Amino acid sequence: MTDLALDIRGISKRYAEHTAVRSLSLAVPTGAVYGLLGPNGAGKTTSIRMILNIIAPDTGTVTLLGRPNTDPGILDQIGYLPEERGLYKKMQVYRVLRFLAELKGVGAKEADRRIHQWMERFDLTTASKDWGLAKLEELSRGMQQKVQFIGTLIHDPDLVILDEPFSGLDPINAQALKDTVVELKKRGKTVIFSTHLMDNAERLCDSVCIIARGEKVLDGTVSGVKAEHGGNTVALSVGAGGTEVLAEVLAKLLADHAMIEKVDDSNRFFEIRLRPGADPQALLRTIVAAGVPVQRFELVQPSLHQIFLEKVGATGVEPGMSGHG
Amino acid sequence: MAKLWVVIKREYLERVRTKWFIIATIFGPLFFGSLMIVPNYISARTLRDSKIGNLRILDATGTGLGARVAAKMAVSQQALGSATHVITLTDAALSEAESSATLAVMQKRDQGYLVLDSTTLTRLRARYAGSNASALGETQAVENAVRQALLQSRLEQAGIDPRRVDSLSNVRVNMSVEKIDEKGRGGSGMASALFGFAIAFLLYFSIIFYGQNIMSGVLDEKTSRVSEVVLSSVGPDTLLAGKVLGVGAVGLTQQIAWIGSTALVWKFRAAVMTKLGVPVVSITLPPIGMGMLLLLVAYFVLGYLLYASLFAAVGAISGDQQEARQAAAPITMMLVAAMVFAQPVMFAPTSTLAKVVSLIPVTAPVIMPLRMSATQVPALEIALSLAGVALACAAAIWASARIYRVGLLMTGKRPSLQELARWIRYN
Repeated sequence: MTDLALDIRGISKRYAEHTAVRSLSLAVPTGAVYGLLGPNGAGKTTSIRMILNIIAPDTGTVTLLGRPNTDPGILDQIGYLPEERGLYKKMQVYRVLRFLAELKGVGAKEADRRIHQWMERFDLTTASKDWGLAKLEELSRGMQQKVQFIGTLIHDPDLVILDEPFSGLDPINAQALKDTVVELKKRGKTVIFSTHLMDNAERLCDSVCIIARGEKVLDGTVSGVKAEHGGNTVALSVGAGGTEVLAEVLAKLLADHAMIEKVDDSNRFFEIRLRPGADPQALLRTIVAAGVPVQRFELVQPSLHQIFLEKVGATGVEPGMSGHG
Repeated sequence: MAKLWVVIKREYLERVRTKWFIIATIFGPLFFGSLMIVPNYISARTLRDSKIGNLRILDATGTGLGARVAAKMAVSQQALGSATHVITLTDAALSEAESSATLAVMQKRDQGYLVLDSTTLTRLRARYAGSNASALGETQAVENAVRQALLQSRLEQAGIDPRRVDSLSNVRVNMSVEKIDEKGRGGSGMASALFGFAIAFLLYFSIIFYGQNIMSGVLDEKTSRVSEVVLSSVGPDTLLAGKVLGVGAVGLTQQIAWIGSTALVWKFRAAVMTKLGVPVVSITLPPIGMGMLLLLVAYFVLGYLLYASLFAAVGAISGDQQEARQAAAPITMMLVAAMVFAQPVMFAPTSTLAKVVSLIPVTAPVIMPLRMSATQVPALEIALSLAGVALACAAAIWASARIYRVGLLMTGKRPSLQELARWIRYN
């Protein structure tokens, strides 16, 4: 086993009208929970499809668990949950799962054993009702999501790739998904998921990569990324009556291009980014001198959300890109 | 290969388990069986039912012709208990008798009346009026009886012994028609034409039915998005191949079931028909040699592959059933065209038209087997036609696999022809 679960070198995919992915390189260490972040249309789904050899990149290589992704059999060790979910609606749940397991090379008998385990764990088989005997279309949406999730993991993959796994999940299934991701990590598996929900990424991921317009904007461990972008952000909250005075002071500083670069105004809470080299103490003195009742003044690390907005901005979505991230 | 097998297994089992498959497999043979028995039964019944209920014969010939006709009718209608009664009268009384006979028919006491007047013997004229005047079989039965009665009268007038007239004039011809090919005589011509037509129809039906089945299967995988999950385990070519082979196996299973049970029905056909009281018309099936059988299978397999892959491509580029039906229309039309040519080819299997349509790859899979059972097709033509179908088949599979690969993951509007051409060029 190599220490990289996924090694992407310079993959690109061009369609007639646009470039979906441009010279993307990534390295995901084995055992990591890795977030692929980007706005809709950034090229996430296209990248994932290239990783899984569903579509071939125009240039570049993808190495999965130390082997080229074109190797026969390598995909048997990968579990994939696509963004747009769906299974054979008219098929019996047990048969769908057995089919998915057999496609990944799991024998029928072993597949049945695992299916029953998972069905019980997700409450799809209870004393009163065995949903495994029902057709998929008879299941509720939440139950179908569980079945799809079982299908993704039924062959006990070493690398699990989840495309926007939280979209459309009810809170209970979302929690079950988070628990499962944590458990997979404990068992030494690698999990890669794409999302545009920064909260989830920040809580779950060891490392992230932000892509926009088909290109990598930044990547690294979550703590590394935050440290790199930290130290120049000030969290500031003020007492009653101070808001207006503070807004005036900040507006003036912004207009003068002095000390601060950006203000995220949440009414009573402000997140302020300093200009490079600016002294936070000088800013504090200026604010206090203006008579603002400061309650909190703290040098903080920015949230992934902040970093994301800063790096991708409002122009992250290229016109003409649609549908797939 | 193991994955191909998994896909084939799913396609096969999921279809064989459905209700429609079980129903069609069971009722198919009943349908074919009744095709063999019911027409004979109905035609026998029609003949038998052509009874001239109550018939009044107004005989003004003064020669006893009416009685003779009645006797003839009695022979042909004997089992049916129809009653004829003869009224002998003069020409002068005819119009009054006709009026009362008309009334009797109107009141449904009689079904009709036959007028034999003084001109009947000399000018061979008779008149029939009745509620069943438009029933061809029935009026023909009356006409036959009159003709035979007249014939007998004339023979007697010519001086032939009345006792011999009966046996001499009672002639029935039963002409059997046989087909001759270079191996000699074999089977009846009609049977072999029908057989050829049945084969062509079976091929047409299976290709169109299972082709569209594949199309909706692909469409279903695409619209339910399950294709993406499956494609993360197997390549699109494997998925397509598994689908085509799996559905093909379903078709083959059904046909074997149908042919087997049809053969069984065939075996008991004579017994059943005797039970139903239908005269057994013996039909000799044209002998099918091993060579012919192999050719039939080859045409079925190639024709199926050709159309199945085209239908699969249509499924992959469509967004819903309605769109797919529209996009499939040109393909269905090619097959329908083949069936349109089936009749002219059956009647003139050596014509230029027959030669041309049995060589065109899209019609050959249906037309050539039909032609082969109707006539002796030169080996060169068969070879050319098979090669053409095989080539078209390879091209269709090649292009369809490419369209399928791209189309399966596409959403949005259906691609234009230029876009399709671009998909085919991708690799």
